[in-house]
Amino acid sequence: MATFTAREMKRFGYEKPLIEKGYANQTLYVNLSDRDIAVRPVTEQMKEVFVGGKGFDLWLLWQAVRGSTRWNDPENALCIASGPLGGTPIYPGSGKSIVTSISATTGSVMDSNVGGYFGPYLKFSGFDALAIQGKSKVPAIVFIDGIEQRVHIFEAAGLPGEAHEISALLTDYFGGGEPKDISVVTTGPGARHTLIGCLNFSWYDQARSRSRLKQAGRGGVGTVFADKGIAALVVRWHTVTVSSNNPADLSALKKVARLHSRDVVEQDPKQNHMSSVGTAHLVTIMNDYDLLPVRNYRYGSHPDAAAMGEDVFRGLFDKGFDGCWIGCTLSCAHGVKDFVPVSGPYKGQKVFVDGPEYETIAGCGSNLGIFDPLFVVEMNFYCDTYGLDSISVGTGIAFAMECFETGLITTAHTGGMDLSFGNRESALALLHQMATGEGFGAVVGQGVRRMKEIFSRDYGADLAVMSDIGMEAKGLEFSEYMSKESLAQQGGYGLALKGPQHDEAWLIFLDMVHNFIPTFESKAEALHWFPLFRTWFGLCGLCKLPWNDVTPADNKETPEPAKVMKHVEWYAQYFSAVTGRKALPEDLIAMSEKVYTFQRIFSLKMGFGRRVHDTIPYRAVGPVTVDEYESRADRYDGQLKDIYNLDVEGKETREKVRILRRLREERYERLKDAVYERRGWTEDGIPTLDTVRRLGIDFPEVLEVLKAHGVA
Amino acid sequence: MVKVDGRELAWREGMTVADLLGELRDPYPYALARVDGRAVTRHEFDKAPVPDNAEVFLVHLVVGG
Repeated sequence: MATFTAREMKRFGYEKPLIEKGYANQTLYVNLSDRDIAVRPVTEQMKEVFVGGKGFDLWLLWQAVRGSTRWNDPENALCIASGPLGGTPIYPGSGKSIVTSISATTGSVMDSNVGGYFGPYLKFSGFDALAIQGKSKVPAIVFIDGIEQRVHIFEAAGLPGEAHEISALLTDYFGGGEPKDISVVTTGPGARHTLIGCLNFSWYDQARSRSRLKQAGRGGVGTVFADKGIAALVVRWHTVTVSSNNPADLSALKKVARLHSRDVVEQDPKQNHMSSVGTAHLVTIMNDYDLLPVRNYRYGSHPDAAAMGEDVFRGLFDKGFDGCWIGCTLSCAHGVKDFVPVSGPYKGQKVFVDGPEYETIAGCGSNLGIFDPLFVVEMNFYCDTYGLDSISVGTGIAFAMECFETGLITTAHTGGMDLSFGNRESALALLHQMATGEGFGAVVGQGVRRMKEIFSRDYGADLAVMSDIGMEAKGLEFSEYMSKESLAQQGGYGLALKGPQHDEAWLIFLDMVHNFIPTFESKAEALHWFPLFRTWFGLCGLCKLPWNDVTPADNKETPEPAKVMKHVEWYAQYFSAVTGRKALPEDLIAMSEKVYTFQRIFSLKMGFGRRVHDTIPYRAVGPVTVDEYESRADRYDGQLKDIYNLDVEGKETREKVRILRRLREERYERLKDAVYERRGWTEDGIPTLDTVRRLGIDFPEVLEVLKAHGVA
Repeated sequence: MVKVDGRELAWREGMTVADLLGELRDPYPYALARVDGRAVTRHEFDKAPVPDNAEVFLVHLVVGG
């Protein structure tokens, strides 16, 4: 293998500011085309309106792009930020970064959150956010050395291809003997050859003496990164203490941090066991409630699901502290040590696998009709190191498998590959092909939306059928929850700003298991509050898991147990303690509503963001096929009788499918109406003038976008 | 004797999670229980045995996502 070299192309010295109440008060701009590096101020208005994190990212991205900017234009920006609370080492879940860009799969605004140390270290190095425009003609490493107060652009040569090796090498190269001081952002060969590339953010696990990885998965942000010619981003920082954010009220911060940390330690062992199994606890729960995606979301359960349950992964995960940021008591980023892949370039070698989480277990497991935990671990490993989004990989392969099994595509199209559900060898082969850009894997790596276009245009496959079963919306693949029985989750997916990612609203349990939101109005209210509260985490540099994946012992006695209001109150105190801005729980929602609404208008600027774009495939709403209907016939017949007062006696299944479809599609449209009204948007899903004025985001350029779409 | 969320409850032969909830007269729609650490969902409540001396936690909401 060639020796790694880094040839300096640009060096930029800066004076690191004092962090004040969670803010560095400046951002870093890098243009890779002309190697321009600049420091730009953060204004008080930016903090007031956008708070930080995703808010800052969106503002920087808005200024960088025009409505016609495509994901692979040099002017597209890749923005990364932490947030004012990010980097606090004593409050659980305080290490998240948010990445935004114009997406390779949707063509619109994408945001993706990720653990690891990069965002906090970036802030402590002096920058609330990083915006990268342009493209480098040579593989470039941007190194932000917060200790020496310099930013470098290096030309890299001789780097390995895979992300875990790049992270390890650069952690060692730039660490100066202190690997814990380094965080690396990388992707892998899959990002260069597909549209579904992800980013890996590292941290150094001192107990295990190795770099660990978390992913910013969604929307092809890794593909944008690779297209810009970035080999890696590296940040170097050293000391992190409770005072690093220079909080306004240190005593108040310590008090509330202790409360939440202790709550996590006491309650998690009685509840979801996140500190030993992460989100793997969800697999059998989703299965038992018929919500686990099986075979391209056709079914919600399978008798073999227990083979991938929490007890299995508890046995596989390496024991130890697994926080993806310092001091997190939830500590749920587990991994498998000394795993030996059976395929690909690392076949026969011991590797460490970061994961799997629920999404990968369901997406690359049950959704493919595969219930083999070791197979899932191998898919997880290669997705990460190839720089591929495991959700899009799983949902994409699941779609290809159903097309194959139903004869829409054949071995003539797949290069001879048998893509029946359950075929592990073929699934792995597709993944390796995505890495090299060869074979049918290269087609699958274009994502579900483009697969539908290709299959229809080039293979003569029925577009109408594929539109029903292709689980993408807005161009983004669905994450791994079976929404067809939950109107609230259909809204949670379909009305999400970036596409069907559950990080806006995960309402499936409230709806299906607890029946807490039975009416349209209650669903609309939930689809107002929950996306806004979840947005707030991204503004502040926080992980949402300590909010509601562990709940206080007395939570069920509270008026709204779903909101876990004790934790919401603690978060308001946390915000006040760090920033000095007095905040009550309702203020957190108000903060988020500005940014959320701005992001909707940003989508409009990019040519999306209207009612028609909130459409979802019918597989997400109800049973597409006779087989799906008959698999749950009692349920569906019961609903037609009890809810819609229809006599189903003597009707053929085909007709019942058609009737139920019409009713459910109408119901989803009525949900849109209710949600738009609650959000202060027009019937076409555009924020009204009153709404943008009320929120204080009526900037001239925002009003221009609204006017161009008939809202004036 | 079994412990339920820290409280002691008399055990009897053949006790299930559903029986235990009936003893408590707790109407809350629990989605999940942990019996000696093992996760039991609502569908299994009437079949899942609660052994003598078991420690049981009633998980009142699994929100997640």
